[in-house]
Amino acid sequence: MREPMAQKVPIRITVNDVVHARGVEPRLLLADFLRHELELTGTHVGCEHGVCGACTVLVDGATARSCLTFAAQLDGARVTTVEGLVRDGEPQPIQDAFHEHHALQCGYCTPGFLVTVYELLAENPAPTEREVREALAGNLCRCTGYVNIVKAVLDAAGRLRAAGLRPAIR
Amino acid sequence: MNVGRGVLRFEDDKLLKGRGVFTDDLHLSGLVHLGFVRSPHAHARLRAIRTDRAKALPGVLAVFTGRDLESLCKPIRVEILFPNYKAPARPVVAVDAVKFVGDAVAVVVAESRYVAEDAADLVEVDYEPLPAVVDVEAALNASAPLAHPELGDNVFFKGEFTAGDVEGAFASADLVLEETFRSARVAGVPLEPRGCVAALDPGRGTLTFWSSTQIPHMLRTALADLVVVPGLSESRIRVITPEVGGGFGTKAHVYPEEVVTAALAFKLGRPVKWVQDRREELLTDIHARDHVYEVQAAVTREGVLKGVRVRILTNAGAFPSYPFGCTLEPTGGARMLPGPYRIRDYAYECYAITTNTCPAGAYRGVAQPTAFMAIEGMMDRIGRALGIDPAEVRLRNLIGPEEMPYVNVVGVRYDTGSYIASLRRALELSRYDDVRARQPSTRLEDGKYRGIGICCFTEVSGTGAPGFRARGLTRVPGFDSALLKVEPTGTVTCVLSTAGAGQGHETTFSQLIADELGVPMKDVTVLEGDTLGGPYGSGTFASRSVVTGGGAIVRAAARLREKIARIAGHLLEAAPADIVLEAGHAFVRGMPSRRVTVRAIAENAYSMTAKGLPEGEGYGLETTDYYDPPLVTMANATHVVAVAVDARTGRIEIERYVVVHDCGRVINPMIVEGQVHGGTAQGIGEAVLEAIVYGEDGQCQTATLMDYLLPTTMDVPSMIVDHIESPSIDAAGGFKGVGEGGVIGAVPAVTNAVADALAGLGVNVNRIPLTPDRVLALIERGASRAGA
Repeated sequence: MREPMAQKVPIRITVNDVVHARGVEPRLLLADFLRHELELTGTHVGCEHGVCGACTVLVDGATARSCLTFAAQLDGARVTTVEGLVRDGEPQPIQDAFHEHHALQCGYCTPGFLVTVYELLAENPAPTEREVREALAGNLCRCTGYVNIVKAVLDAAGRLRAAGLRPAIR
Repeated sequence: MNVGRGVLRFEDDKLLKGRGVFTDDLHLSGLVHLGFVRSPHAHARLRAIRTDRAKALPGVLAVFTGRDLESLCKPIRVEILFPNYKAPARPVVAVDAVKFVGDAVAVVVAESRYVAEDAADLVEVDYEPLPAVVDVEAALNASAPLAHPELGDNVFFKGEFTAGDVEGAFASADLVLEETFRSARVAGVPLEPRGCVAALDPGRGTLTFWSSTQIPHMLRTALADLVVVPGLSESRIRVITPEVGGGFGTKAHVYPEEVVTAALAFKLGRPVKWVQDRREELLTDIHARDHVYEVQAAVTREGVLKGVRVRILTNAGAFPSYPFGCTLEPTGGARMLPGPYRIRDYAYECYAITTNTCPAGAYRGVAQPTAFMAIEGMMDRIGRALGIDPAEVRLRNLIGPEEMPYVNVVGVRYDTGSYIASLRRALELSRYDDVRARQPSTRLEDGKYRGIGICCFTEVSGTGAPGFRARGLTRVPGFDSALLKVEPTGTVTCVLSTAGAGQGHETTFSQLIADELGVPMKDVTVLEGDTLGGPYGSGTFASRSVVTGGGAIVRAAARLREKIARIAGHLLEAAPADIVLEAGHAFVRGMPSRRVTVRAIAENAYSMTAKGLPEGEGYGLETTDYYDPPLVTMANATHVVAVAVDARTGRIEIERYVVVHDCGRVINPMIVEGQVHGGTAQGIGEAVLEAIVYGEDGQCQTATLMDYLLPTTMDVPSMIVDHIESPSIDAAGGFKGVGEGGVIGAVPAVTNAVADALAGLGVNVNRIPLTPDRVLALIERGASRAGA
């Protein structure tokens, strides 16, 4: 019989600007912590082995696979999920571009793509198509063939530049 | 008018904000979780299963073996109305023997998914391994192990057909060409894995069942048939589809886990959730393709195809899948192979072969990608043998506009289509003639072999009842339905039997309904994927929803308009025939000021005014209608693709991709293009990357996405997509389906382009996927031949 997993690790974690102090099992994945403990179900789990990118979130401003990250690792960290990328009433040029270019179908991979695009455009405001494709190569989409996703990202970059904005990473 | 416009999707906002609710997002109080114990053997007898260590783990509620579940769940049996069909029933959890790697042998119920998976590892199973049969061709050898010894051989189904004078066509041919084409086994891999949640209302004895399914009504019928609980009836089951994260046919089946989840909700009296992981998806969700096509073509010296013989082997896996069984792929490939070509002398023999592999089923395109790889591969071979350009060979064989409507050799009617026009347009958009003119005979420039490939094809869509009966299927109704109503406040609600998985049905159908009833789109709400709210129907698969759901809407709206006109005529003191519906109003033709709002009409229909209804008119303002389309509704398209094959690495790069497609009357061109893009990407994956690989022992070697490679942004190019609209004259509304065309066209087009690129080497490209190692082997073979 294996060891019971009762020993919980205390963590203090900021998710989308809200501080949570919780005790978590050492093996609890960040994805499951977000989805099932905080009920932030916008982060999706597609493969549980770090390939598909659907579970991508920002940890201290950098993309991370929440299916390969333990919640217990993140004491003191700031995490941003798809729910935290925009706030009601604020402009959302990346999401608008996805909508207007029909860059999503079933929407399951979309949160992971949006998070990845935030990081890309925060670091590189004027990517080439090649750079967009390389930045998104770790996110799988089975519906769109990526054609409209690439168009949307290039358009979003243009909109952000025109407005003098960079994606805000919380 | 809303139809014909690229209306932006209503579905997007929630999905872009992370507010879409998928199956695994459902949280219910008291929820318990299932974990399945899965066989590591392809074929083995179950000698003993010990569950005591699993049951002792804290947090585990129960463990059930197949034997324990026999009293709760009937085995899944697929009836097929063909004489040469035989297949075993499939227990929902194996009882005596496992038949493929991933076959379930026990199920654990626990307070969390983590504990369920821990406990599944603690179930001890004593297997007695048996010889396994894996390869579809080897399975026919007399010495092959039998997947189901009681059947006597490995043949689930054999079909045969002959029409015209096949012998005569071959006897008089100037040229007879033969080739064997092989496609790998592939998986659907929707980004959302499958899952379901079952919740019992113990007081009422009703079951609510959420599932990531494409077929809610058929699933409900299956649960009623298969779950053995006193008092449970279909009337007491409600199936709901939450957001569904892609399906591609893999979710258009009823799976054992769904039956077990429903049964255990009764057994345990608590809500039960099962969500698979990706390994389970790759091991146990239906697989597809894994076909062999042995083709013989009788040809004139002008390149005209006179007769075709084909022998088709399809690997059905260990069991027929429900509800499509194992006849869909062999009969589909055989019936679809003539495609847009004038073939009158045709004979086929087709088989569904059982092996110790995952059951095969209906994945996007079904048999068509391999069938068209075969016939389109023959078109290119005819061109190469006779020195005729492959585009010209096709032009000499395509059915022309003057021949439409055309009944093909297997009896399928092509009502309208643009076979020649779509090819000509695709050649133009791809600058085909320029590419050919500049192409060196070696095809080699700056270290890359360059080639261009064509696929002209028909796409079976909107299959109706006769189409499914022709394939032997009895559990697939064929029709779909729409309940269309104007509510008392004048808004419009439509409940459809279809069930989308990302295709944008809400937007597409809202556009159609708004036009049909003359109301603003903002006043229309489209609901689907809930068996409680609407009438029965087949669901969403096989490029059908716009044909069947759209057809049902067109029919229901026509009847509703008549009633609206009668009430409006009564209110406006005009003849119903003179009433026009527009922008949320009814007015008298030629007198737009004599008008009444749809809301005022609805208030009369629901008895909320003093004026009341015309004499003899019934209350309410709703109607339900069903639409069963013809045998099939045939769409068509042409793909032209230019590739560069790296001579050093064997990697294939797509340099240009053109699609000219024709799905009849288009409701939303933006959404249609999205379907084409996505399907084409899947076809590119199937042609160059994707393969489920089983070892000789039946072990699945591709159970992660590190091993089963999907196309990424680096593999799928931008595309030029052009529309031709040949509205159907047979199907209501003029619509044809579009969901599968991309994958059907891409597999042959890419394969032919690679074959063209390597044509100077004299090697034969007849097997996919064209992975870098295979391509390099071909190049080396060609080089050594040239050197010899």
